[in-house]
Amino acid sequence: MTESSGGLFSTGELAALQSSFHQGSAEASTTLAKWIGKPSVVKIESLDQLPLEEATSLLSAGDGPLCFCTVELKGLLTGEMILVFDDASGLALADLLLEQSQGTATEWTEMAVSVALETTNILCCTYLSSLSRSFSKTDGADELLPSPPKFQRDFAESLLEFALMGQAVASDQVFLVRTTFEIDATPVNWTLLFVPDAVSMLRIPELIASQTGR
Amino acid sequence: MDKPVVATNSSIRMGEMLVAAAGEELRTLLGSCVGLALYDRRQQVGGLAHIVLPAARGKTDRPGKFVDTAIPSLIDSMQELASKELKLIAKLAGGASMFSTTVAAKIGLQNVESSEQLLEQLGIPIIAKHCGGEQGRRMTFDTTSGKVVIEIVGRDPIEL
Repeated sequence: MTESSGGLFSTGELAALQSSFHQGSAEASTTLAKWIGKPSVVKIESLDQLPLEEATSLLSAGDGPLCFCTVELKGLLTGEMILVFDDASGLALADLLLEQSQGTATEWTEMAVSVALETTNILCCTYLSSLSRSFSKTDGADELLPSPPKFQRDFAESLLEFALMGQAVASDQVFLVRTTFEIDATPVNWTLLFVPDAVSMLRIPELIASQTGR
Repeated sequence: MDKPVVATNSSIRMGEMLVAAAGEELRTLLGSCVGLALYDRRQQVGGLAHIVLPAARGKTDRPGKFVDTAIPSLIDSMQELASKELKLIAKLAGGASMFSTTVAAKIGLQNVESSEQLLEQLGIPIIAKHCGGEQGRRMTFDTTSGKVVIEIVGRDPIEL
């Protein structure tokens, strides 16, 4: 962390991270398009390094709750990957995948939740496999292992606060990666967050150094 | 943020504190953090802190972030706003464990326990609390009545 970027990672480290995440999002685009049967684009919105108190308001949701499918990461990197969406976007996905007319799903039934969880599982596994290959020192021997996803409806700031606590124990600044989505060339209100914990924040520069030295 | 500010914007973010006289509504959204409302009924002076971690361990630049620096700092600022010596009560909320991440899962409980211990040492009674669980909370503190309302997604609001 020597070249200044004004944050936790240097400019060079951020560029390396961006490259790895772009590769992950490209692979996730292909997988998502197959899963939902429509052209899909998963793209990196930003790699954010910002003060803790500003980070919790990144997902502006007004007063209402949002839906979250959270995957805990173990192995090469630890932390969380979280797919965030509002009710309308999530229920529209359920209609699409259950081959129902749009507007059929109006509440979070077991089936609708199952669709959201499976979509998260597929997205995260693809993304994390790509990141694993990008960061692994031993050509795939070190893996990123996702937990089964968990569905929650809650206040956006509350969830982000909890997810960022893994970094807040060590720093007043936090880092997260935001990914956005387009389905059929239309932006949808989904966001995929990658939130490493404090242990991973120390490990990422080492992984980048070994990646660039390979 | 060096010390709590008198409320002009009632929304309080992580590690921040606000104090206010009657007529304000202070709000914060909590996950594993603790929301601490202190109130003097006679003077209608209130303060709300959104505390992130149990102990500052010598850090002094962000007193609102830690239990052991936030509580004394909040009391000092309320005293500046009050005309007489404060007689405080406390209401606590937060400390949820929203998923089982090793670090964050323990922090919520530690935040609550540290707050309770320090308030006891300072002789400030905790007259109501709503802590723990797996869901976030919106905490709203009315500095005219001293009432605290807790909102949890999918449940009726709870008045403390």
